[in-house]
Amino acid sequence: MMEHTHYRAAMLADPHDTDAELRAHREACAECREFTERLLRFESRLERALRVDIPPTAVVLPFERKPGNAARAPRRWMAIAASVLLGIAIAGGIWLSVPQQSLAADVVAHMAGEPGAWQGTEAVADSELDNVLKDSKLRLKPDAGIVSYASSCSFRGHRVPHLVVQTPSGPVTVMVLVHESVRKAMPFDDEGYRGTIVPVPGHGSIAVLMRDSKVGSGEIERIAARVDDSIVWTR
Amino acid sequence: MNDEAGGIQRRTRFQAICQSLRPDLLRFAFWLSRDRALAEDVVQESMLRAWKAQDSLLDENAAKPWLLTIVRREYARTFERKRFPTVSVDELIAKEEPMLAAAEEQDVSDVRAAIMKLPDDYREPLVLQVLMGYSTAEIARELNLSGPAVLTRLHRARRQLRAACGEDTSMDPQE
Repeated sequence: MMEHTHYRAAMLADPHDTDAELRAHREACAECREFTERLLRFESRLERALRVDIPPTAVVLPFERKPGNAARAPRRWMAIAASVLLGIAIAGGIWLSVPQQSLAADVVAHMAGEPGAWQGTEAVADSELDNVLKDSKLRLKPDAGIVSYASSCSFRGHRVPHLVVQTPSGPVTVMVLVHESVRKAMPFDDEGYRGTIVPVPGHGSIAVLMRDSKVGSGEIERIAARVDDSIVWTR
Repeated sequence: MNDEAGGIQRRTRFQAICQSLRPDLLRFAFWLSRDRALAEDVVQESMLRAWKAQDSLLDENAAKPWLLTIVRREYARTFERKRFPTVSVDELIAKEEPMLAAAEEQDVSDVRAAIMKLPDDYREPLVLQVLMGYSTAEIARELNLSGPAVLTRLHRARRQLRAACGEDTSMDPQE
């Protein structure tokens, strides 16, 4: 069995490492699982911290420059040379104080806007579900489980399917994010929501999350894989 | 007419490449320099260089590393052109604290202050990994380091950050 030290050092270098040996160690070792969960909570803070907000007009493309604006850069250089300290303390400070949420944080924030989504346990009508899924060019296999909530939600400028699926582990929220690509699975544990965002090659990504759940990250990964398997892409 | 159509096509292509990457490039430049104004200037100049050199980008899927490399080089050039006064990071963070004190974002503000204090050698690979989604191999290539060296820096960066943010590090491996 892999040593705890080796596992923890590897996870500190990349908390989203999907190496099978690391996963096996995590599943067998309660202490390292606890270590990982703490680490992922911190990782979520780190992601949000790095996503400082950017004013949309901060940088213009060369051909978007208006006449008279071409001398912008040299003017700024003079200002920087004169007051690097003031520039960071004031402008940087204001910028830092308004964080841009990460994808996982945006998913979690979206949950807060629809608390009622978790309430029902009865299946929604097929026509309602079809209506929600059709724009994203997908349908669910019959064995996907009971879908107790289906809504077409506005998320990062796009309409996305927001579903709640009843599973043996409890209700699971699924957001199909065809416009959001991730390179690899991104587990998160934030604000009482535990979940993962998994890549779907050619179709963006899927966010899968549970609320106030004691379900471990390994089980979440398995649920996400089952959700992914139950989707039939129609384009 | 053909020239005009070609020009429009070039602009459309460049816009498409830059539109979604611009915010992350600015964030990357900010964390590289820890100076918003400097970050904006670096990215502005980088956009100009990228626009002039866009024909060298043969695979649009490689736009992100291509632009990021341009930003890194442009940032390095700023120090060839100018000598900036040395400023204490502690002093800067202390000055920023009142503005970072919004209660609901305190946990994020603490991490930001800790990132500001990280040595450049640790901060850059961490930003490449977490913000830009780079793999260890991609970071190694970009920073001209070995894979193990990148992993060591990432490991140390997180250890330092977590300790600085008051996280329980009792289970962390000792070096």
